[in-house]
Amino acid sequence: MTNNKSDIIIAIFLLCFSGVMINDASNIRDLGFEGMKADAWPRVVLWLLVVMSSVMLGKSYLKFKTVSDKDNENFSINLAKFKNALICFGMFMLFLSTLDYLGMLIGGILFVFGLLTLLGGFSHKLIVKHLLVSILSIGFMWMVFTFGLRVILPEGEILRVW
Amino acid sequence: MFDVILQAGASVLLDPVTLGLMGIGTLAGLLAGAIPGFTIAMGVILTLPFTFGMSPIQGLATMMGVFVGGFSGGLMSCMLTGIPGTPSSVATTFDGFPMVRSGKPGLALGLGLWSSFFGGMISAVILVALAPQLAFLGLEFGPWDYFSLIVFALTITVSLSGDNMIKGLIAGLLGLFAACVGEDEINGVARFAFGSDHIRQGFAFLPVLIGLFAFSQLLSDVEDSAKAKAPLMKNSAEAIRVEHRKAIATVLMNWINLIRSSFIGIFTGILPAAGGSISNILAYDQAKKASNNRNEFGKGAVNGIIAPEAANNATAGGALIMMMALGIPGDIVTAIMIGALMIHNIIPGPSFIQDEPLLAYGVFIAFFAAHFFMVGLQAFALRLFLLVTRIPMYILASVILAYCAIGVFALHNITFDIWVMFGFGVIGYFMRKLGFPLAPMILGVVLGKLAELNIARAIGISDDYSLFVTRPWSLFFLIMAIVSVLFPFYQNAKKDTLFTKMYVPISMILLALPLFLMGSPVRMVVGGILLSAGCYFIYKRSSILKTI
Repeated sequence: MTNNKSDIIIAIFLLCFSGVMINDASNIRDLGFEGMKADAWPRVVLWLLVVMSSVMLGKSYLKFKTVSDKDNENFSINLAKFKNALICFGMFMLFLSTLDYLGMLIGGILFVFGLLTLLGGFSHKLIVKHLLVSILSIGFMWMVFTFGLRVILPEGEILRVW
Repeated sequence: MFDVILQAGASVLLDPVTLGLMGIGTLAGLLAGAIPGFTIAMGVILTLPFTFGMSPIQGLATMMGVFVGGFSGGLMSCMLTGIPGTPSSVATTFDGFPMVRSGKPGLALGLGLWSSFFGGMISAVILVALAPQLAFLGLEFGPWDYFSLIVFALTITVSLSGDNMIKGLIAGLLGLFAACVGEDEINGVARFAFGSDHIRQGFAFLPVLIGLFAFSQLLSDVEDSAKAKAPLMKNSAEAIRVEHRKAIATVLMNWINLIRSSFIGIFTGILPAAGGSISNILAYDQAKKASNNRNEFGKGAVNGIIAPEAANNATAGGALIMMMALGIPGDIVTAIMIGALMIHNIIPGPSFIQDEPLLAYGVFIAFFAAHFFMVGLQAFALRLFLLVTRIPMYILASVILAYCAIGVFALHNITFDIWVMFGFGVIGYFMRKLGFPLAPMILGVVLGKLAELNIARAIGISDDYSLFVTRPWSLFFLIMAIVSVLFPFYQNAKKDTLFTKMYVPISMILLALPLFLMGSPVRMVVGGILLSAGCYFIYKRSSILKTI
């Protein structure tokens, strides 16, 4: 995925990010004590980030100018290549968003089952296999953490009501 | 001292629960090291949540088991299928796989196993001997020296980022910035919280590391649908009877290679960020150069197996030396190990061995003992490994993603930690895809707070900034940092340039200066040796200089 175009975009993004953070650093309270202020170290880090991002931008731009247009055109974001990663992001976000309602046990089983089915396929045999894997794996881990390690995992509204 | 060692030994070796946990840890490490796509760091991360409820010594013994097992696990897959289980066993494939193919699988596995064992043992001895001395040395460090040491650790990580030095620097700075978020350690002032109470507390160390490393790795593992659905290994492998006696005799007969490779491993482990992935190749290369039968290498040479396997296990001991003595992680795995120690309220540093001798020596003894477990459990791990490799990656990845969420939640019992893991997982995934090395970022996260704390202390004690260059240790580390920053240019430069000819001797002469400033007779002698060697090299190359 890396090429000069992507590096230019990332460098610009990093410069914007650093700008926003440097701006926010001015909101850090000064307690008036002697010694190093609370905003000093982050400012040093962020300004160094600005310098490095600028170097990356400059280098990528120079390379972009020197290589042929054909090479630069080869860059395209192929979303299909990231399909599985995007599925994982989506499923994990859904799992986290519903954790308070479904709890770790039910939410975890649904997350693993959903992810397995979306990544592995939808045939009857596979669905049964995925269901078994999700129930056994999450059930086992839930039991180990709840009863073995005495960790109070999120119960969720459903189990609490039940 | 002897009492402490005995007590520590008893707490590890005479407690059946601790021994059992160490055995389980070693087995987990062997499997994590063996499965391609998994790494030792992943093994440590996945075992970590189970140690939360354990006593510190039990938790540390378990982690040591995973750590040692992981370094040895890689040899199973690389020898039996030709696919290295971890980057630290890449060079083992060069001769291990051909030896197996030539009909000697039992000997090949035995050589790998016993080289790992002896390499680990040598590094364990050095660890016990050197770590307390280095910690003693560390007590001399003021905040200026510590800050410069961290700068050196970060620059060497960046210099090992290969062609992506700028990206490595950016990754390191992003790690340092991530460590700034939340209340600062000195004044307790909120930074970059954007009104969120959760962010005000800062990002917990382990969710960030698990997200950056494990979460992003799992996403990369399932990226290719066809590969994700196929069993982990297509090549069939069978359980093999290891030829222990013959292997031990062969390894001991090649003792020079064993010791040389072990020391390469230890030295590489001591350097921040240079882990087993580098040491195994270096040791293989040196073994090949030193061998009278270079043509045998690549065709199943005995020394081609001994060198990388001894080196990668010795790296573990080397990395532990830095971690235990100075609190500086040697690589990603030891960075995570520091996180594991912090869970048990242990902060490694120069005073750790003196303040917590029982725990410190417990770690040393666990490191020793884990090598015996590693040898004993290899046969069982081999059978388990063959079972696990029948499972497709998408099943493993999905289950482990859920497991990461449970493990991270168990850390502080707050859901926000899982969000942090997710957020950093997404960042880590895209950083991988965009060619940013993750190691500098991880070390930045680990060392960020320490760097800030030390620079604040230094400024608090004196506003004289020249102390950073006038204090001998600080100057030494800053020179080392400059040398490491220039190292990639040295590697890439043409052989006959002035820079390549003078890089090593001038570095030696510069490093001699702070050693002389230290004043101690031993250090002055070392400084004298460096100075003499540097001058000798310059003299030797003067003829080339004249031609230039």
